[in-house]
Amino acid sequence: MGRSHRVLKVVGWLALVVFALIYLFPLYWLLNTSVKGRAELFASTPTLVAQHPTLEPYVTVLFDRGYVRLLRNSLVVCSLTVLLTLVIGMAITYPLTRLPVSRRLRVGVLNWALSLRFLPPIAVVVPYFLIVRTIGLYNNPLALVFVYTLFNLPFGIWMLKGFMTEIPQEVEEAAYVDGATRAAAFRRVLLPLMAPGLLASAVIIFAFCWSEFLFALILTSTRDAQTFPVGVQGLVTQFEIIWNEMAAAGVIAIAVPLVLMLAARRHVLAGLTFGVIREK
Amino acid sequence: MSEPVPAAASLAPTARRWTLGHTPQERLAYKLLLPVLGIVFVIVLLPFLVALISSLREGGDGAFVGGQNYARALRNPLLYDALKATGLYALIVLPTEILLGTGLALLVNRVVRSPNLRALIFVFAIIPIVIPPVGVGVIARLIYAPDYGALNYLLQLGGLIQQEIPWLSRPMTAMLAVASVDIWQWTPFVYLVMFAGLQTVPRESLEAAQVDGATWWQQFVQIELFYLRPLLLLVLFLRLADVLRAFDAIFVLTGGGPGTATQLLSLYLYRVGFKFFNSGEAAALAIMVLVGMSLLYSGVARLLPVERD
Repeated sequence: MGRSHRVLKVVGWLALVVFALIYLFPLYWLLNTSVKGRAELFASTPTLVAQHPTLEPYVTVLFDRGYVRLLRNSLVVCSLTVLLTLVIGMAITYPLTRLPVSRRLRVGVLNWALSLRFLPPIAVVVPYFLIVRTIGLYNNPLALVFVYTLFNLPFGIWMLKGFMTEIPQEVEEAAYVDGATRAAAFRRVLLPLMAPGLLASAVIIFAFCWSEFLFALILTSTRDAQTFPVGVQGLVTQFEIIWNEMAAAGVIAIAVPLVLMLAARRHVLAGLTFGVIREK
Repeated sequence: MSEPVPAAASLAPTARRWTLGHTPQERLAYKLLLPVLGIVFVIVLLPFLVALISSLREGGDGAFVGGQNYARALRNPLLYDALKATGLYALIVLPTEILLGTGLALLVNRVVRSPNLRALIFVFAIIPIVIPPVGVGVIARLIYAPDYGALNYLLQLGGLIQQEIPWLSRPMTAMLAVASVDIWQWTPFVYLVMFAGLQTVPRESLEAAQVDGATWWQQFVQIELFYLRPLLLLVLFLRLADVLRAFDAIFVLTGGGPGTATQLLSLYLYRVGFKFFNSGEAAALAIMVLVGMSLLYSGVARLLPVERD
């Protein structure tokens, strides 16, 4: 052990600190750029610390460019998606964990949900585009709600299944003994016990939904239906990039899922790994 | 399918107890499941059918053309550029993320003892994972862009380079830039999974090995790796699936350029479908990707350490 051990420890700590710096610098740089005023942008060299921090870029993006509208679209689309995903997810998970379905059906449904996770969205983007255009939902937020629900469902099913199996069936059985119907036991016993799990699932699904870009890019075309990430991208590909506004839009795009996911951080990994990793 | 696990054995009697009347519960189960699953199944199947049909038709007038779209898709040299770029991307990104993530997990597990600090690292590691890829693209743009990029500025500040390096306009550096974004975002995920895995290694076996004078490396290879192996497989497969769907950040950072240097499969498909508006060829490509992914998935699925009960 002795000295070589201590040297290794110091080297290890140094490596960790260097890593942390490399990780945090890009985030710092984004934030730093987003609070720079116009004048500072055109300085010959970028300033490491914003000299006169201002919220002006945020105001410009949200109000002058009218991106509040996109924020509202994102909010509506994601809320509806969360609602729909949880309802459908519960309708699938409840029978699978609480009712006597055959093992083959249970395993089959879970496997199928898992396999959807490996479906590259790009492969169904063209057909979805054709379908959505045919049924007249092109440039309609509802189209996004349907697609997002579908793509969040595998995750939702696995997550809800995890939360539901954690609740012992005996609790509901006790309610049945007291004469409760199945519906009553579900509403008054299971749902309240699952509330934290439902909330965590909702938060994470909302964050995923908020981050989605590809379908939003293809299935919408105007401010009436575009979501915020599409707006962010719109600032990036312009002929001349206005860095502070792009950065401000980036900060807004990042802030929402970041705050939500950090709030639900104990469940994020379980969700991403289909319950393989569980944080205590 | 998979072997019966204890959980299933303990579930079965409970289920039996509930089936007293046998029918009502079962009927309820199917009443709940079938319509929902039916709808979802149709919504999943529908795009596949639409893709299949449009892959057999001419994009413009919808005439039936048989396998022509497939032939044209396979003849397009850009497809092979895309496959090559995707392969190169995967070859850079996957080993780096897995080695770096696992290494960091081992390092933190050995060096950091304080639970508070471990919790802090956990939070930091979650951050990149939950950032929308579009946002990551924006950040990368701020780092690598000509004129305003932070990287060139920092390198010049440190005296490492005299002239700006046009990161995004040379094929090789553009590919590295795009890969670095993936590595930045997803190494922490590998770290988190591996770190969680390391916590399941029984302390006694490590202590016994230490008493026997095993080095760190021996402890890793002979004990810890055994516990990490299923997780490595899971991570590799999840990351592989994500490489095949990588789109947003690259779209924002390089748009696939310069030329086709960073035009991965997903960006290529987008281009065929929505820039060239060749829906027939795009659908043929989509069908081939779907079939390829299904084959890949069915080959590896049963190896995934996922609890299916």
